[in-house]
Amino acid sequence: MRSFPFGAAALCILALAIISGLCLAFAPAEQHNATLRLWVFAKAHYDTYTKAIPNFERENPGVTVDLQLVSNSSLATRLQSAFLADVDVPDQVEIEISSAGSFFRGPLNEVGFLDLTDRLHQSGLYDKMVQARFAPYTKQGHIFGLPHDVHPVMLAYRRDLFEQAGVDVSKIETWDDFIAAGRRVTIPGKRYMIEMSDNSGTQLEVCLFQHGGGYFDPDGHCILDNEASVQTMLWYVPLVAGKNKIGGDLGSGQILTKAVEDGYFLTLVTPDWRSKSIENDIPRMAGKMALMPFPALTRGGVRTSTWGGTMMGITKHCKNPDMAWKLAQYLYLNKEDLAMRFRENNILPCSREAWEHPSFHEPRAYWSGQPLGELYSKLAPQVPFQYSSPFISTAKGKLSEALVDCVQQYKAQGDAGFEAFVRARLKRSADEVRLRIARNPY
Amino acid sequence: MSTQDKVEPTQDKSVASANAVVRRASDHVDDTPPRSRWFALQHRYAPYLFLLPFLIIFATFGIYPIVKSLILSLYATNGPKDQIFVGLSNFRFLLSDPEFHTAVWNTAVFAFWSVFLQLPLALGLAMLLSAKWLKGREFLRLAFFSPHLVGQAFVAVLFMVLFVPQYGLINNGLHAVSPQIPLDMKWLSEAGLVMPALVLTSLWMYVGFNMIYFLAALQAVDRELYEAAMVDGANAWHQFWAVTLPGIRPVAVFVLVTATIGSFQLFELPFIMLNNGGGPNNAGLTIVMYLYRTGFETGDLGYASAIGWTLALGVMAISLIQMRLTGVWKRGGE
Repeated sequence: MRSFPFGAAALCILALAIISGLCLAFAPAEQHNATLRLWVFAKAHYDTYTKAIPNFERENPGVTVDLQLVSNSSLATRLQSAFLADVDVPDQVEIEISSAGSFFRGPLNEVGFLDLTDRLHQSGLYDKMVQARFAPYTKQGHIFGLPHDVHPVMLAYRRDLFEQAGVDVSKIETWDDFIAAGRRVTIPGKRYMIEMSDNSGTQLEVCLFQHGGGYFDPDGHCILDNEASVQTMLWYVPLVAGKNKIGGDLGSGQILTKAVEDGYFLTLVTPDWRSKSIENDIPRMAGKMALMPFPALTRGGVRTSTWGGTMMGITKHCKNPDMAWKLAQYLYLNKEDLAMRFRENNILPCSREAWEHPSFHEPRAYWSGQPLGELYSKLAPQVPFQYSSPFISTAKGKLSEALVDCVQQYKAQGDAGFEAFVRARLKRSADEVRLRIARNPY
Repeated sequence: MSTQDKVEPTQDKSVASANAVVRRASDHVDDTPPRSRWFALQHRYAPYLFLLPFLIIFATFGIYPIVKSLILSLYATNGPKDQIFVGLSNFRFLLSDPEFHTAVWNTAVFAFWSVFLQLPLALGLAMLLSAKWLKGREFLRLAFFSPHLVGQAFVAVLFMVLFVPQYGLINNGLHAVSPQIPLDMKWLSEAGLVMPALVLTSLWMYVGFNMIYFLAALQAVDRELYEAAMVDGANAWHQFWAVTLPGIRPVAVFVLVTATIGSFQLFELPFIMLNNGGGPNNAGLTIVMYLYRTGFETGDLGYASAIGWTLALGVMAISLIQMRLTGVWKRGGE
């Protein structure tokens, strides 16, 4: 050590660096000893699966399930990276509907998930579930995900304030009825009939599905500029812009809690999952809230739409796909578990048989004694189809951009030339999506 | 005699002395074998050995990805396995991609306002906080610097709360000052307000950070020059232009270049503040956000690489222009 020309300290540092480097280089990778590793993004799902999985493990001796909660935005990125690098890919994953399409990019045989089509048909599951919910997870007729939920949409409203304002919910059947009532109770800047965004496509998308529109057709062609989209935009914008608007938007989280408590918003577009968020985030409104079906476009029309969704996919890296399929069925179809879970998260499962359980007919105190499950399950069969594509996130962004421009146009010019503007603007958005699809060689 | 002339003899002495040491070591090797030869061998190779860990890591995580991304930018990709050679098609598409143009425009606007608001404010603050008459300077320096300690994610979440319409502190403050300003002003969801919100947030975070550089530079300016200027009758304004600014020029150029590069790399603030998106009408979409979206959400690694290379070359060009305009090279690479 004495003969080292840069001194003992430098020699020590060098030795430490080399030893640490070797340790890192040859350290064994993290071992996943569990039979199945499952990623989920929703805390509500995680909490309920945590209770269900020990039973599954007991019923299948020797099988262990490693359940991991990964935040939604991280999950999509982590899974993409895992697929790209072929490293650390889980056996099973729950994916949110708006991210699912991006995993179906490329040739059919390059999709990172197992094709579940045959399993679904052979087991008869396809016929037992709400079939509209397979559409977002289907590519060229092949189903890659088991749908977790139906997510029919209703309107949650401040029952106490409606009563004070003399709004009779039983007389609201169509959007025209709703808008007329809304114009009576809305006070610009202080109170709005409904939470509706003028800058993001969240509620517009729900309305678009109800109008029979969407982002893509079953063949993956962009339909953002079809007649349904144009009519939806023409109908939607005056609800959120101009002097007769009845909708407003402040954002989510605590601000929404405060806005509902203050009566700033009287109604919220509420799929089943959001009803639980409302219960959790706005507990002081217990007993003052109630649910009504989504207004129909015309009398006798469909009284719902859909917002959100989750699929479970089995990755091609899974060493035991049969066991993974068994777990997926256990989590998504076990009646008793689904009933217990519905009490905890209000999410209507995709299996129609499950809705017969008494838990789906129980009155809920928060919702003024209404039987939440019954209300949602009655609407579930009418849930519209929605089709996905690897370009779904681009299309969603383009719809929001079109909305912002249409709102600006309506604020500036009103009805004058509005229809022509909407048609041109939606065509521009659709063409931008088509351009991206066209340059994709796969 | 110029400053350079003054320095040279000292440098010559150091070089001569170093050469003498090396010569002595070489002589020693020739005279006495094995142990001394081992010493000379170590002397020759030890620097490379020290550099080796860095070189390995840099080659693995620096050079390889750079070369790989350049190659990828010439392919249409579906993950790393499926690649189709498309030549410069990805770069050509950049020219006609409206979303990329929006991202470039937003990033340039952000960089412009960040630099031209941030740097004067940082310099002004540094001058104020180096004034001897100011009490509690140390505390104020820490206070202004501290936003930088907490990280962009925290700052983004903090400002999301401050910018909340109807109930947020900023809207309520503005409304209290001027009742015409509506309480429900949507800083983060109205296209025209997104960029001001991002610039304000970044100012809060970075003005104090750049102030530290200017503080250090101001303290290095020779006091005698100020005294000479005062004797010549220069007022405060003249002193600033003739003494302060030339004195802090190298640091100012450094801050200008790093602030510009930092602005072009903007990602975390808008990504978090705009809920992982580009905001209304993509008003807050930056180039790096678009790169991330293309590469990791859409999975088009080839196009994302093309975006990355365009950004890197663009930032390099802007930095070179800045350095040329500020005369760094003429002054011998200060």
